[in-house]
Amino acid sequence: MDSKEVLMKVEGVSKFYQMGEVTVAALKDVSLNIYQGEFVVILGPSGSGKSTLLNILGGMDLPSEGKVVMEGEEITNYSDRKLTIYRREKIGFVFQFYNLMSNLTAIENVELATEICSDALNVNEVLEAVGLGERKDHFPAQMSGGEQQRVSIARAVAKNPSLLLCDEPTGALDFNTGIKILSQLKRINKEYNKTVIIITHNMPIGAMADRVIKMRSGEIIETKVNDNPIPPEGIEW
Amino acid sequence: MVMKRLDVRLLRLIKHSKGQFFSISIMVIIALTIYISFNMVADNLYNSIYHYYEETNFSDVFIEVVRVPKTAIDKLYTIEGIESAQGRISADVPLRVEDPEEKVRVRIVSVPNEDKIINNLYKIEGKDLQVDSKKTAVLQQFSDARGIVLEDRVRPYIAGREYPLEVISIVGSPEYIYLMENEQSLIPAPEKFGILYVTEDFAQSALGYQGSYNEIMVKINPEYYNSVDNIVDDIEDQLDRYGVKSIVKREDQLSHSMMMQEVEQLEAMATSITLLFLIVAAIIINIMLSRIVKNDRMSIGVMKALGYNNISILMHYTKFSLAIGLLGSIIGIVLSIPLSAAFTNLYIFYMNIPMFEMTLYEKYFIYGIVLTSVFCIISGLIGARSVLKILPASAMQPEIPKAGHRIWLEQIKFIWNRISFSWKMVIRNIFRKKKRAIFLILGIALTYSITMVPIFMSSVWGNVFMIQYGKYQTMGYNIDFTIPMNDSVIREISQLIDVDSIEPKTEIPFELRNGWKKKAVSVIALPENTSFYYFESMSGQELKLPTNGILLSDRLAKAIGASVGDDILMKSFLPDGDDTYINVKGVVEQYLGTNAYMTIDTMNELIGEKGLITGVLLNSKDDVVTKLKDVKNVKQVQSVEDMKNSFLEFMDMMIYSVGVMMIFGGILGFAIVYNVNVISISERVMEFSSLRVLGFDKREIYKMVSRENGIMAFFGILIGMPLGYSMCKGMIASLAMDMVTIPLIIENSSYVITAIATLSFVIIAQLATVRKIYRLNFLDALKNRIS
Repeated sequence: MDSKEVLMKVEGVSKFYQMGEVTVAALKDVSLNIYQGEFVVILGPSGSGKSTLLNILGGMDLPSEGKVVMEGEEITNYSDRKLTIYRREKIGFVFQFYNLMSNLTAIENVELATEICSDALNVNEVLEAVGLGERKDHFPAQMSGGEQQRVSIARAVAKNPSLLLCDEPTGALDFNTGIKILSQLKRINKEYNKTVIIITHNMPIGAMADRVIKMRSGEIIETKVNDNPIPPEGIEW
Repeated sequence: MVMKRLDVRLLRLIKHSKGQFFSISIMVIIALTIYISFNMVADNLYNSIYHYYEETNFSDVFIEVVRVPKTAIDKLYTIEGIESAQGRISADVPLRVEDPEEKVRVRIVSVPNEDKIINNLYKIEGKDLQVDSKKTAVLQQFSDARGIVLEDRVRPYIAGREYPLEVISIVGSPEYIYLMENEQSLIPAPEKFGILYVTEDFAQSALGYQGSYNEIMVKINPEYYNSVDNIVDDIEDQLDRYGVKSIVKREDQLSHSMMMQEVEQLEAMATSITLLFLIVAAIIINIMLSRIVKNDRMSIGVMKALGYNNISILMHYTKFSLAIGLLGSIIGIVLSIPLSAAFTNLYIFYMNIPMFEMTLYEKYFIYGIVLTSVFCIISGLIGARSVLKILPASAMQPEIPKAGHRIWLEQIKFIWNRISFSWKMVIRNIFRKKKRAIFLILGIALTYSITMVPIFMSSVWGNVFMIQYGKYQTMGYNIDFTIPMNDSVIREISQLIDVDSIEPKTEIPFELRNGWKKKAVSVIALPENTSFYYFESMSGQELKLPTNGILLSDRLAKAIGASVGDDILMKSFLPDGDDTYINVKGVVEQYLGTNAYMTIDTMNELIGEKGLITGVLLNSKDDVVTKLKDVKNVKQVQSVEDMKNSFLEFMDMMIYSVGVMMIFGGILGFAIVYNVNVISISERVMEFSSLRVLGFDKREIYKMVSRENGIMAFFGILIGMPLGYSMCKGMIASLAMDMVTIPLIIENSSYVITAIATLSFVIIAQLATVRKIYRLNFLDALKNRIS
């Protein structure tokens, strides 16, 4: 695995929140590398700091200590403006609750993301790829949860980002739909050669990952390389 | 070009809240329409007046003298700066009309026999006035009002003789664009007073001015406009021995100053109404956008996560208000064009400016767009500024509910425990959104006060009239003689008519000077113990006519800056009259007219005569007008009844503007209440849904909203009362006219009527929001906690 190219380097990242007089540590001295083309699953119960980590990797939040280096550039000392550009060009987000714009159609939601990117993919092709070619002119309210999440994935992928960050992508979906979404993410990982990080509390999902990182109380407690990841269709929960 | 996706979203957002979008747009439309059309009408009016003046060679200085020969007028050319000077004869005489009861007066004015006539007539129809002395040109307003047409005969009654004159033309004159008999007239009454232009020969022979004149018109070389005052002084010196009655500069000329007042009022209204509507629109936009941004918190988080920067998100929301501004501007501009034309036509109709030009001043389109855009952008930016504070990471999480806490009223257990549960909820709701409640209350207060002004104005004229002619002046008739008469004439009049009471009076014009300030007024001399006049000081105390000294009306005292105890100079207009100093003994309240008062004895001493009077005041149930009609030396008989009638006409005119102002107040009130209600309903969808689940029905929820509005309307009206009072006060100050003082007497009924009107606006606005509550799908609302 070390022979692979490092996409992102996380060094000694901590995050503290001031809650009145008490300081709460959401992340404690976390270090890890993310490699190009990897499919990583970060596992942990709620409050383990995985969302905080994801937000920091995605440039939505800054750590209290430590640094994050993406493709050789330290993003943790970026200005607001540079962070915005970083999110725009390098990162694709998939949220648990899809977070689509309710008053834009599926294709418009994707275009909302691509029209500010310099190197976007063809929006129609991406929607086709997630199986929504026929439904692209529907509004979110006219779509099922799975379809909405696929729009959300298309929105993230079409930006042609270096890194796809997925926050509990199956959390709001039923089992069958969840599996389909995971297959989509796996396909994108393979076909478009995109690095994918999924955070979830759902243990079985770890089986499809190249690497599983387990977190608890703001710390990495275990990193497991999976030499034979199973296809998502084989997962059960 | 494909529309930006954010802009597509914006359009859908607007479509979703179209009710609010349009109700705010209407305010902007009104603001802009008024701004553009009033300014354009003001400019058009101003330019047309000056164009008219140029065409007709309008005089710069007007001089009234007792009698002046032509040679003295020619000598005026020696004064540097005088371009031309022309004499004419002018006299007010009765006009014989079919109904012997009807009192119609005309001013006979001679047209100079010169090449370039000053105050030339503007011929509307007919022929030029020829040397033939039996012809006349009639002022258009008068001919229109009385239905006089070409070839009719009019019969002025001059010095005891009737002169039938054939009407050969209908004309306009720059001197009488606004036709009023004198400064004391409340309003124009064109069917009661008109101008007949005659040849110089006719006027001189009929009025007995062979070879001389009693008025001089002077044109000043434009290069000397800055030294008009010096020229006027020179004229006064030169003409002193011909008995200068008055010298009026163009700026003080009655018609001209009324027209300029009209222009200024239009401009002032253009500014004040526009600003008022724009400010209220801006506040509503601000509230609405901050609500939208709050509701869109999660979407804003997503936009930021996708890489949109603060500026583009802020612009996204600010475009909402900019769209309101642009839509309002475009519709406002489109509407202002026909409205300007309509207003302009109204002025042609009322103001008699024959060659009124209608020009579109595009600069006001641009100013208007810039003005509204600035307002909308600023209010949009302020409303949407919380976009900046939203962090993408935390925006994804549901917002932490606002901490509830007790309100101060709950501390007062005595009251709180007596309030029913549903009222407690209502009161808590109001306190929960304090800023908004304050805006709504102030908005209602503003509506109240705006509505109050026209209601006050329509009732105050009745008071002006009642007090002036019921308390300050109680005579039924005011009779003027053509020449000063011996006071024994009182006995003769008492024999002619059956009088209840009669008093002599002397009314002589003087110029009163205090330092450099001066004003020409009619000084009225009365018996020391007059029963027809009641004098009241500004603080409401009764004042008696001083045996040695003078009383000044409030406006006169202000105009010359004099106060009690000052010695002021009385400059006589009579030939060889002496100038005397006199002590001011009091300042009295006088609503209509500007005068000074003294005893007849003081006056006689001043003018060095004895036993002469210029008129009488009397009360009588007899038919005074008819009986004195043909009596020699009676110049005019003015009855309080006549004043009352012209006053009633004036009231009719008022009703129109009262209605317009009330519509503005209503629109403002509607817009404020409607928008604030819609915003607060959309904010509380979740809360109402929960109430519905708990078993409240739609009517009960509506009742709750109504009660909130009711409480706020109550406080709004409470605050509106003093606010309305001061607004009326401000209105009076801004209307400060030369001849009328409007007293600040607000009837209790005005407060009540205004309150009813305001409540109606609130109720109408609230009814418009019923749909929002009745259509509320509470199950959907509860399900869609997210996205």
